[in-house]
Amino acid sequence: MAQQHGIIVLFDVENALRTRSLAGNTYWFDNMKLFGSTGEGTEHLVTIVPGTHFMDGSQATEQVLNWLPAALGAIPPTVPRNYLAEQERADDRRTLDQLASLNADGGVSDTDLKRLQKRVGKRARKPAGGRGLTAAKLLDVTGKTTSSAGAYNYPAPVITDITGPAVTEKIMYPAQYGSPDMIYDGWYWAATVDTSRPGEYPYTMHVQLHELIEQNDEMIWESVDLTCESTLKITTDPKRNGFTGAGLGLLPLPAVPATG
Amino acid sequence: MPPKTKQPERRPSRPVTITAVIDPVAALASENLDDSLYLYDTNKAAGSTGFGTPELHSRVTKGDTLLWNVIPLECETYAAITDIEIDPRVAEPTRKVYPGTDIVFWTAEVKQDLTEPLRYRISFLLGTVTTPFTPTARPALAGPADQAREGR
Amino acid sequence: MKDRISIVVMVDAVGALSDRTLHNGNLSLVDDSSGSKHQGTPDLITTVIPGQVVQWTPIHIDVQTPVEIYSIEFLPGAPAAPPAGPSPAAPPPVDAMGSNGTENHDLLVWEGVVPYDMTPGVPYRYRLSLKLHEGPNSVLHVDSPALMRV
Repeated sequence: MAQQHGIIVLFDVENALRTRSLAGNTYWFDNMKLFGSTGEGTEHLVTIVPGTHFMDGSQATEQVLNWLPAALGAIPPTVPRNYLAEQERADDRRTLDQLASLNADGGVSDTDLKRLQKRVGKRARKPAGGRGLTAAKLLDVTGKTTSSAGAYNYPAPVITDITGPAVTEKIMYPAQYGSPDMIYDGWYWAATVDTSRPGEYPYTMHVQLHELIEQNDEMIWESVDLTCESTLKITTDPKRNGFTGAGLGLLPLPAVPATG
Repeated sequence: MPPKTKQPERRPSRPVTITAVIDPVAALASENLDDSLYLYDTNKAAGSTGFGTPELHSRVTKGDTLLWNVIPLECETYAAITDIEIDPRVAEPTRKVYPGTDIVFWTAEVKQDLTEPLRYRISFLLGTVTTPFTPTARPALAGPADQAREGR
Repeated sequence: MKDRISIVVMVDAVGALSDRTLHNGNLSLVDDSSGSKHQGTPDLITTVIPGQVVQWTPIHIDVQTPVEIYSIEFLPGAPAAPPAGPSPAAPPPVDAMGSNGTENHDLLVWEGVVPYDMTPGVPYRYRLSLKLHEGPNSVLHVDSPALMRV
């Protein structure tokens, strides 16, 4: 049984937003270097999909691809996505606790107020028709509340579609799936692959990045749609018996088994 | 409305992040981190080089905040930075965790501008092995780009 | 009688690579034969009947980590006569090279027919070697599992 292929795409979001292009701003990885993938860690990854078939020609193993986008310079994907919401809530609780204790003291100093105002932070509004982001308090790249539009943690890029020859030629069947996995926020793109037609097949990934815009004294998430490309290399080889190298045979038992 | 050019002013408040992408399973099986480590930073526009290799040269300036973190290729596999050894006159990295988690990052402030690239050692803990993995190749911090020095 | 016995080889690849052993709970063998012993451990003794097909299938606990069966060799007892020539129990390993020039042990199907001359009631232990990714530490083995004719 083959393992699932994870294809990680790391986006230099800051550069991509500045140049409004993903050219030179994506780094691709998969876990198939040992089977012949090339271009690991560059924008020219060719993902090997080593198919196998039985002697009658039927496909033996199902090859599954998963795409996992990540933003360079952001809180890494190992931190669960609900973390941002959790941090925001924990922060609000602390602020409320401190507000309560301020009242009890009777006097309120300027420094106390400033500190609390900072903790309340700023919220970014979600533009009408935008997707993927909720109106939430801004956090910086270490998970602390920030009121600075220059320090916010880049939201993870969102894959919106996968197209191109690998799809139109029915080599892979990509779709977005829901999952209880909190690491990837419950949504991920995956595809099964038809390995019966060996060859190289490019595909295009459609991605949405999000930029925080200050407009009329308000912060708004603006979505930026971009595309980038990668390639699948399909091979297929016949399955053979591990004991005989050909078809089914007798188990190679010794005349006398080992003792003990 | 003319397009806003806000990015240059944004830079100071976001750290220069250096991200280590690691294939921990490959490193454990081969006992070699050099072929399984890909370093990147967020300062390509400032002239950082060596992207995708263990010999990343990050362009930094006095006063920059640096942040090192890890993205493992298999998200279920433990991989974390366990040490960063660098000339303490330039930076003194400290270990931190994202609040409320046990996920580690390291951070430091650049104390002086560099005229020559300064190599440093970065070590990782992988899987459940207690001995740190250190690549033979060394990443480096490098000073402001040449045109910046000429401008002085 | 079942025509086919399936032995599932479940591996915690990261645990095994970290500990450099398939013991410590990193390997679990399970079969669907009745009367087998030590299910869920590396010491599984699978009961078999001549004519049955036995098949080994690797399963990884981390879905994205490659786990492959590298080889299965039945361990011979001490030879009665002085050793002469290659042992019949250790045939040359089967080529696992794929058409693109990289090894792919996923190409190999590990199954065979239980021979009629197998001695009943005696465990035939085998060396199960697994390949986890690639490199000098990638192949690990256990000598503890066995097949036994009832």
